[in-house]
Amino acid sequence: MIRIDNLTVRFGGVTALDAISADFSQPISGIIGPNGAGKTTTMNAVSGFLDYQGTISWNDEPVDALNPFKRTRWGLRRSFQREQIADDLTVLDNLQAIADNLPGSRSERRANVEQAIESLPISHLVNRKAESLNAYEKRLTDLGRCIIGNPKIVMLDEPCGGLQQEETDRLGELIQKIPLLTRATTLIIDHDVDLISRICAETLVLDFGRRIAFGETSQVLADPKVKAAYLGVEEVAQ
Amino acid sequence: MANRTLTLLMTAAMMLGVCAFLAWGKPPKVVGLFVVSGMAVGSLYALGGIGLVVLYRATGVLNLSNGAIGALGVMCAWQLQQWQVPEVATWFIGIALTTLLALVYGRLIAPGLAWRDPVVKAVATLGFALIVLGVTAFAWEDDVRKFALPSDKVAYTLLGMRITLTRLIVILAAIAIVVAVWLYLSKTRTGLNMRALADNRDISALIGVPIVKTETIAWGISGLIAGFTGLMFGDLVRLEPFVITFMVIPAISAAICGQLRNLGVVLIAGLCIGVIESMMTLSPVLKSIRPIAPFVIAILVLVWVQRGRTNYFAGN
Amino acid sequence: MPITQSAKAGLAFALLAFVLLPVLAGGQWVKIFISTGCFILAASGVAFMYARLGMVSLGQVALMGVGGWVMLRMNHAFELPFEINLAVAGAVTLMFGWLLAMPALKMRGLYLALITLMAAGGLEVIFSTFRFPNGGEGFWGVMPSVAAPFRRPFLVSDDTDYLRYIIAAIVAGFLIIELHMRSAPGRAWAMIRRSEAAAYASGVNVVYYKAWAFGLAGFLAGVSGGLLAGGLGLLDPATFRASESIMLFALMIVGGSRGWLGVVIAAALYRVVPALFNDWSIDADISLIIFGAALLHAITTAPNGLSGQLTDLFTKEVKRT
Repeated sequence: MIRIDNLTVRFGGVTALDAISADFSQPISGIIGPNGAGKTTTMNAVSGFLDYQGTISWNDEPVDALNPFKRTRWGLRRSFQREQIADDLTVLDNLQAIADNLPGSRSERRANVEQAIESLPISHLVNRKAESLNAYEKRLTDLGRCIIGNPKIVMLDEPCGGLQQEETDRLGELIQKIPLLTRATTLIIDHDVDLISRICAETLVLDFGRRIAFGETSQVLADPKVKAAYLGVEEVAQ
Repeated sequence: MANRTLTLLMTAAMMLGVCAFLAWGKPPKVVGLFVVSGMAVGSLYALGGIGLVVLYRATGVLNLSNGAIGALGVMCAWQLQQWQVPEVATWFIGIALTTLLALVYGRLIAPGLAWRDPVVKAVATLGFALIVLGVTAFAWEDDVRKFALPSDKVAYTLLGMRITLTRLIVILAAIAIVVAVWLYLSKTRTGLNMRALADNRDISALIGVPIVKTETIAWGISGLIAGFTGLMFGDLVRLEPFVITFMVIPAISAAICGQLRNLGVVLIAGLCIGVIESMMTLSPVLKSIRPIAPFVIAILVLVWVQRGRTNYFAGN
Repeated sequence: MPITQSAKAGLAFALLAFVLLPVLAGGQWVKIFISTGCFILAASGVAFMYARLGMVSLGQVALMGVGGWVMLRMNHAFELPFEINLAVAGAVTLMFGWLLAMPALKMRGLYLALITLMAAGGLEVIFSTFRFPNGGEGFWGVMPSVAAPFRRPFLVSDDTDYLRYIIAAIVAGFLIIELHMRSAPGRAWAMIRRSEAAAYASGVNVVYYKAWAFGLAGFLAGVSGGLLAGGLGLLDPATFRASESIMLFALMIVGGSRGWLGVVIAAALYRVVPALFNDWSIDADISLIIFGAALLHAITTAPNGLSGQLTDLFTKEVKRT
């Protein structure tokens, strides 16, 4: 379970996140909201890229004192809106690039990488140079990097960006395998409401840096406040 | 805002401290001479730094060829004077030439690199610098030359220190230009456009900021400053192409002290670098390594600025 | 570990050079090739940093000067073998490079370029003021008259042997870099180049790995400077001016920063062209103009440099047949 407690992020005079609190107890949860709501900012805070107030912890292990690369070694995995794999390396090297920095012996790390390759269908891509991959294969590699080792938190920022419908469906199914392969709690940001309702058991909705709804996904999506936020209508009076 | 003023004051305080240390136990008249000379050269460093920062903020290009084009400008001015062209005309022609060279680069070469990394853009200006330096060095044989201005012969005594008019002009010009640039950036429309470009290029294009016109003006200003500093370096330091070309190094140092954005700090830093460098002459030990002062100062400021903080989006 | 086509070609080229070059080269050209060889090694340091990490160092030749200085000082101060002196030169230059560049490694890449440029300027002054050790007394070790002799490596009896020694050293240097590229540091470097955020998200300690890269480049500069000192017996401050560091970097871009062919072209342009100009009585300043124009051209149109264009041409020809 990921606990976010009173998370506040300020940039100069602008409050990007205002005392966000949420307990993500389900294996896969979503974070949605209109543009500029603070979704990626939340992930950046969890990644440690920003200064923030409040606490972030997983199964009562707080991460606030760790810097970004130490958080990864602790068990944080993340993908970005634009896939971030190194073009001059092969897919295998890209996976090893993250395994290199994880705790454990060389053989353990090697085993972790092989496990990730087998769990997702990427064994046919292993020796291809990353720059020759298409969009779907790159997203797949990014996902592979997220399940190596023993991740505790996996964050996916628009994992299906730029993909066609059937590719999105396939990737969605693979994301659903994460709780079977690891102990990790997964957070997903996406604008695709179908994808979120299919794979996320609970969802946090942000708007202008504030939490406006949190709970079981279908209930949250039916909430009039959430609809108002997306449609830009004045907040419905309680 | 308070943080920036604090940085400014701390920088000034540290540098004054170093100056005081260097001046300890030396006769005030002598110290005065070196301080004045240092302030004059330092003003040029500051101007160079300001030219770099303004252009960098508006276009993303850190123009390392400023020194080289300034050198070509002052050599042409000198040559025209040898051919009996009236002095005032030579100054204008020199500055016009440097402005032209800056605009040529800015309009013809820089656009081809507009979408590349700032480091790549800076390295490209190095290529331009090599070309201009090569032309200058080729056109004029190695020789000892002197570039003089009529204001060299006029001197005043201020606060017991003797200061030539040239040096006075340079110091006042530096301050005036900083103020003018600051006013320009904050009060005029094109200045506003430049700040918009500096902040976020893509969005500025989308909201209709005239990029080409704004950048052209920025390159023009950069060329004008390079021309003026070139002439003055030729007078106050030495009329030698390589020397003037590499005067871009103390300018870079001043720009770094201002973290490539704070013009006030760039001005103070430039002045201090000039004065400290000059006053190192007073110490028999440090005298021979004077020119490393800009480097050491920039490193110390960087170390100071980074204390305790790490910027995690440094590359993105 | 698989050997690439390019590597096979490179090793073949090196073998050819090792066997034939010292035999074919005559008179002053042996010394020119020795010098070129040292700059190949130094250029490989800047090249891998730029290609793999996007880091720009404009002070590599200045660091060679540091390595050369240490080499000469060690040679005249103690009676240790050549290789020990070389190792010390490499180590000292590595640490010196770190000292200069560390504050910049934590900041945007632009700062590293600027800091190394300023360092090159500073070192130029130090070299011209204090000159290079030639057997004199004191820390600076300079005596006004003719220099004391310089001891060469054990196996080397004359210049042609020394040229072979240098070629072997270059191959060793390339292999060290390649070893890095294929293991954890090389992967971390590639992630850093993609974006520092991605690197942090991969658990990479970005500053540490940047420092490692810069240290390796500094080590190579130090060793190549030491080898240059060994080749010439005495070093001249004019060799290590700031403009020289800039030129080497510029030519590295022109030659191509990926692979061995690029740095060979770069060092050849850097050393051989001015020598030819000298033979043909053309002003050295013309080379500044040509190299500057070549840099601009390479940066705007040919990201993989001349070596990239040549390899493309070669592979196209091979495909046609």
